[in-house]
Order: sequence, then structure tokens, then C-alpha cells
Amino acid sequence: MKRLLLLLLPVVAVAVFSAGCDRIKERPVLRIGYMNCNNERETMERFAPLSRYLSEQVGVTFETIPVDTHEFEERFRAGEFALTHTNSLLYILLKEDAGLKLVAADKRGHYGSRTAGTLIARKGSGIETLEDIRGKRLVFGPMMAPTGYLAQYDLMLQAGIDPERDLGYYAIPAGSFKHEKLIYGVYFGDFDVAAAPALDLEEMTREGKIAADDFVILAQSQIVPYCTFGAAPDLDPVIFAKVRQALLELTPTDTVEIDGERVKVLKAAWVDGFEELLDSDYDPIREMARRVNMPPYQTY
Amino acid sequence: MPKFSQTSLLWLLMVVATAAMAALLVTASGDDPRWRTAGLDKAVERELAFQARAAFLQKVYAPVEALLAAGQAQTALLKLDELERSFSGDPHGFILRGEILRDLGVLDRAIANYVRALKLSGDYLEEASPLSRRTEIRHLVDQGLRELVPRARSNPDNRSLAATVGELHYLQSRLAGGCE
Amino acid sequence: MNFRDRHLWIVILAGLSLGTLGVLLSVWGNPQNSGICVSCFFENSAGALGLHDNSRMQYLRPELIGFVLGSMGSAALFREFRSRGGSAPLPRLFSGIFLMVGCAVFIGCPIKLVLRLTAGDLTAVAGGIGLVGGVWAGLKTLAGGVHLAPAQTQKGSGLLVPGLFALLLVFLIVRPGFLLFSAASSAAQHAPWLLALAAGLGLGALAQRSRLCVTGGVRDTLLLGHRSPLLYGLFAFVLSAVAVNLATGRFNPTLYGQPGAHLDHLWSFLGMALVGWLSVLIGGCPFRQLIKAGEGDADAGLVAVGMLIGGALVQSWGIAATAAGVPLYGKVAVLAGFIFVFGLSLVQREQEGY
Repeated sequence: MKRLLLLLLPVVAVAVFSAGCDRIKERPVLRIGYMNCNNERETMERFAPLSRYLSEQVGVTFETIPVDTHEFEERFRAGEFALTHTNSLLYILLKEDAGLKLVAADKRGHYGSRTAGTLIARKGSGIETLEDIRGKRLVFGPMMAPTGYLAQYDLMLQAGIDPERDLGYYAIPAGSFKHEKLIYGVYFGDFDVAAAPALDLEEMTREGKIAADDFVILAQSQIVPYCTFGAAPDLDPVIFAKVRQALLELTPTDTVEIDGERVKVLKAAWVDGFEELLDSDYDPIREMARRVNMPPYQTY
Repeated sequence: MPKFSQTSLLWLLMVVATAAMAALLVTASGDDPRWRTAGLDKAVERELAFQARAAFLQKVYAPVEALLAAGQAQTALLKLDELERSFSGDPHGFILRGEILRDLGVLDRAIANYVRALKLSGDYLEEASPLSRRTEIRHLVDQGLRELVPRARSNPDNRSLAATVGELHYLQSRLAGGCE
Repeated sequence: MNFRDRHLWIVILAGLSLGTLGVLLSVWGNPQNSGICVSCFFENSAGALGLHDNSRMQYLRPELIGFVLGSMGSAALFREFRSRGGSAPLPRLFSGIFLMVGCAVFIGCPIKLVLRLTAGDLTAVAGGIGLVGGVWAGLKTLAGGVHLAPAQTQKGSGLLVPGLFALLLVFLIVRPGFLLFSAASSAAQHAPWLLALAAGLGLGALAQRSRLCVTGGVRDTLLLGHRSPLLYGLFAFVLSAVAVNLATGRFNPTLYGQPGAHLDHLWSFLGMALVGWLSVLIGGCPFRQLIKAGEGDADAGLVAVGMLIGGALVQSWGIAATAAGVPLYGKVAVLAGFIFVFGLSLVQREQEGY
């Protein structure tokens, strides 16, 4: 009898293991589209641990897909992503055009899930007020950046300055790290004024890259939501609820294994945590987009 | 030795020891140097340390206060970031950050910063303290109860709002006093 | 119940005085809802003596001194002072420490529990249920044969703790430089010391005459129902405290924003359950231990010494809860307290054949 059991034991073990493998294979696979801030490699390094964490918590295999801003709408409409991680302007665009649902917002820096757009000049440059920027060289962030372009464009319009006519010229830097580039652009005198997100100023100051006294903040926008997790309208409500719960419960000490190494999920993602916002919290961005004539409210 | 004599001796010794102690206490006046052993004036030492800390904080955070007075709230926040590199976790930094965020209308983050500060130091609740922020905290709580609590009630499933209301109640509880 | 019984009216008078002075001491300067709180007073007094370094909790509370000396005076006057002791001294010392742990996690002793409830603090409900549950469990333990060894007459030892408190009274009057008094926060809030001392002396004397005890009242009610005189003392305590709270505008019925309260209801329950259970095993709540110590009970005196040590430890080791909630060490300490209770019960159980 004992021998029989000994013989059966490996068979049973193999059967159980195989069944387990089948179940793993059977787990649904969903894709999360993460908006590239700088480049694909950075996006993967930042968000692969977060996707792994969500997979562990939700019981679904989430794939990390880096997506360029200009491709996002088309690929989301094609049903490629179950979840999205974008800036707040893109969230509004996808919500209005394709029914994206709000899951949670990233918390980072002084303002938590929000930040502001600022217009800055180098201290001592003689530019002290918003009025002084007429005829000057200005550098914006990317066009779809809510606090690197939209907010500052709106600030200027509100102050009676038309960026298309009243500035000497304006530019948008190419390539990666656009926000840092424009801050350095003003610091080193290549431009007179920059449209800098308050969050980038904050982080560069904290890291010692710049000092608070280096710049004059000419104007600052209203504080608005920033990076946002959204869900496709047809996502299973149970998965939706589990994803939201997992994000809200994520703490700085939570880790996952990536390539044999334990990685802190929030630290890797450059995020302090997640917060549950209301869609109405995004209304100030909607109003800005309407005033600036930007998508999804653009009229010709 | 008979038992009676021993008892008498013990009583006698006790009377002598008591009298000696009483004499010592009575003859030494309040300013007698014999009372002045190291560390005895603890209350004075503590008061000096507190005043020194208050003066130090005023000096360290003077640039932030100056920026605030000039209406440059965002630059003041950046200055706080700079200072945090040297004075990480200092409650006064959280207090100032809370004040700026409150003025900028970011109520939830203002509350979070005040909570962090008060958990580190209760001095900010003392009316008599030079560091007191009691009135500001009371106004913040009133504003929070007015604006955040109805919002949380109309969104009962929103955990972030519930957490902020929890922090608001913490401030309310600290303002109410009690022995802790 | 015989309403012609003089003792019953003494108990009711003691209850009325406890409720009235418990609230009035707060009106006169003690922290909100903390007019009388034996555990808070021990924490404050331990701090004043330099036994812990929380600068917000240092004040030699005159009420505490008054309770012991008032009881001693009353016991001496009515020839009830009996020096006795020798019943499980070390378990009693540790019981005193763990009584403070339970109180610190709840934020208050059983008297403060009642004061909090009667001021409308709904967070104290969990503690109230815990206290009753703890007393019930303690009674079951006693019924199961757990008894601490009986006390014996011990000449002189019953004077030591009243002597210690008399020395504290001297300190309070003379204010030697080594005493630490908080300049800010809850320990800086206090009624005028002569008033507080007088209240303490009066309550000590009344409690000695009446044997008033919160856990004792709960215990007797569970055992005797409405025939327990202490039940009427508790009623008088509750009614007078509610009345004075209402009259002084201190009644604020809500769960949130209460002074010196937290929302960790499970730990409030467990903290007070520990206090209730221990109090039954050692024969009285923290207040009653002080009164007994004043009557010459050296065992109760040792509990009082344990409470002084506990008052220092809960502050030094970060055990005491705050409005932010119960710290990890507080939770661990409460569980350690229960392990102590279970272990004590196992060791002290009378077993057949022994």
C-alpha cells in the first residue's frame, strides 16, 4: 500500500501542478496603455511594477504598453486597452470621445493629485510681471500637457496676451524631458519665459537641480488634476472595482518581483499614492480647453 | 539587651533622624547653593530650550515667511522644498506648507499637512505659544466641515474623501482638548 | 432594596459627588472630559516626578493625593484603618501596570469612561461594553476557582503608600526643582491646586465610607441585580454628570471630534475589557485601589505603585493612544496584558487534589 502511495504521489503532484499551469494560462490578459512622458524604456521601468502589482491583486494578467500621446486616442478607440494612464487632458479627451471611466488619480508632490501651470522667468532678467512677457521668447511644454501648455496658454489669454501675436516667438522643445529642458532653457538664457508645470519645479528644487531663488513666478494657474487612471467603458465592473481598490490601498512599502529583484511599486512609478477623484474635479481643465480651443472642444 | 531598650533605642534613632532632616530642610533657604545640583532647574532649562527652538525656527523659515508676505506662495513652497533637504520631517515645515496650501484652496492637502505637524508637535495648538496656530486650525476645520463633509456625504463610496474627513475629525478632536 | 439603609444613601451621595466634581473639575481647569481620571492623573504625576519625558503630560495631580489621604483620614476617623497585605504582591504590582496599559489604550480610567459617555462622547461606548464584558469574564474566572492568596495583617506596611502620597503632598506645596510641570498642553490644564486637593480629599473620604467603585458596581449588579447598592451609586454618578454637563454646555453627543478620543473601537473595547477583568481579579478599579491603599491595604498600595510605574511606561514606550489612534505598541501591550491575565488565572486557579 505504501509503495502504491509512493508511486501515486508524483503522479498526483504533476497533475495538480499542470492544472495550476492551465489556470495561469487561462487568466484573462488585459492591457494597460501608459502615456509616454519621455520615452518607452522609462515608461516600462516606471510602470511594469505597477502592472505586476495590479495583476497580483486583481487576479488578471495586465500587460504594460507604452503609448505615444498622439497615438493614444486611435488605439484606445480600437479597443486595445482595458485601462489607461494618461494626463488629465487626455483623460477628458478619451472620456468625451470614447466613454473612458475615471478610476483614480496619481498623488505626487505638494498638491497631491493636482498641480498647476506656471509661467517663469529667470530672476534678474527684468521680467517681473506677466505684462513684461510681450515680445519675449517663450518656451512651452508639449501641446497636450495640461500644466505645461494648456494652463499657461489660458493664463495668457485671460491676461489679454495672445501668444500667437503678442510674444516675440514661442517654441516647443523636441525629444524627451521637455519640461526639464524648458526650465533649463530659461535658466541658461535661451528663452525669456517658460511654461513650467509646478510639479517639475517642485521636484527639481527638491533634487537640488535648481533653487527657489533662481526664478520669478510670473503667474500660476488654478490647481487641476494631473495623471489619471481610466478604464474602458466595457471593462468588467468587478475588475474595475478591484483595480480601484488595489490602487487606493497601495502603500510605499508594497513591493513586487521584477527580474528577480524586489521593487517598491510606488517609488518605481514616481508616485506617492493614488486618490479617488470625481469627474467634476476635471471641470476646470474642460473650461480651460474650451477657452483655448483645444480638443475635445476644438471648433474650427 | 532587653527588648524594651531596643525599642526605645529605635524610637530615639528615628526621632534623631527626623529632627536632623527637619533641621537640614529648615536651615537651607531657597537660594542656598546646596540646593543647586546639576539639572535641578528643569523648568527653566525647558523654557530656554523652547524659546531657543522658536527663535531658531523663525530664523530658518524667515525666507519662506518673507515670500508669503510678498504674495509668492508657489516660490515659498519651493523654498520649503529646499529647506526640507536640511530639516526633513520638521513639523514647522508642515505647518507652513499647510498654511500655503490652505491659502491656495487645496484644502485636503492643507489638512494632511496640519495633521502631520500636530502628530509631531502639539505646540501649535497652545494659545500661549509663540508658535501657536490654533486660530488658523480652527478656521481650517470650520471650512473643512462646511465644504468637505457635505461632499463626502454625497459621495459615500469615495475613500479618499472619507480619509480626508477622518483627518479633519482628528484636527477637531485635537482642538477639543482632552487628556492625551 | 431598603431605601432606609443609611449606607445606600452614602453610596448615592458619593456617586453624586463623583459625577458633579468630575465635570466641575473640568470646568475649573482640568482637561475636557477629564475632570477625574485616575490613569491620566498617574501618567501626569509620573511625568512630574521625572519618570517619563513627555513634556505634555507632567503635573503632580492634587486629586490623586487627595484620594489616598482623604481615604486614610476617613478610615482613621471611623476606626477602619487596618494595615494588611501579603496577597500575591508581584502579580498585583504587574496588575497595576497592565491596568494603566488598558486605560492608556482607551484613553481614560473607568471613571473617565463614564465622564466621556455622559458628555456625549460616543466613542466611549465600545469601552463601556468592553468594561462590562471584562467584569463579566472576571467573575467567570473567579467562579472557576481563581483567587489571589488572602491578605494578612501586616503592622506598618499599610502606612507606606499613604506616606508616599503625603510626601507627594509636600512636593506639591514646596515644588522642589526636580519636579517637572508641563507649560503647555493637557497637563498644563488644571484646576487651582487647593480646590483640586479639597475635591480629592472629599471624594476619597466619601469613597472610603461608601466603597464606591465603577467595576465593583458593575460586578455587584451582575451578581445581585437591583439589590446592589453600588448600582444606585453608579446611577447617581451618571445622572449628576449628565446634569452638570448639560448645565455647563459640555454635552456634545457625537462620534467625531471628541476630546482625547479615537475611533479604534476594537482597541477601546479590548483596553477596557482588560481593565474590567483585572479589576475583578484584584478587587477594584484603579480608583478603588487608591481608596483601599488609603485604608492601609498594602496590596492595593502595591497596585498603586504599579500604576505609577505603568503611567511612566505607557508614555515612555509609546503605548498610550492619542486622537490619531492606538499605536502598535499599545496594541501589543494590551495583548500582553491579556496573556498576563490568562497566565495569572492559570497559576492562581484552585485545582482539585491540590
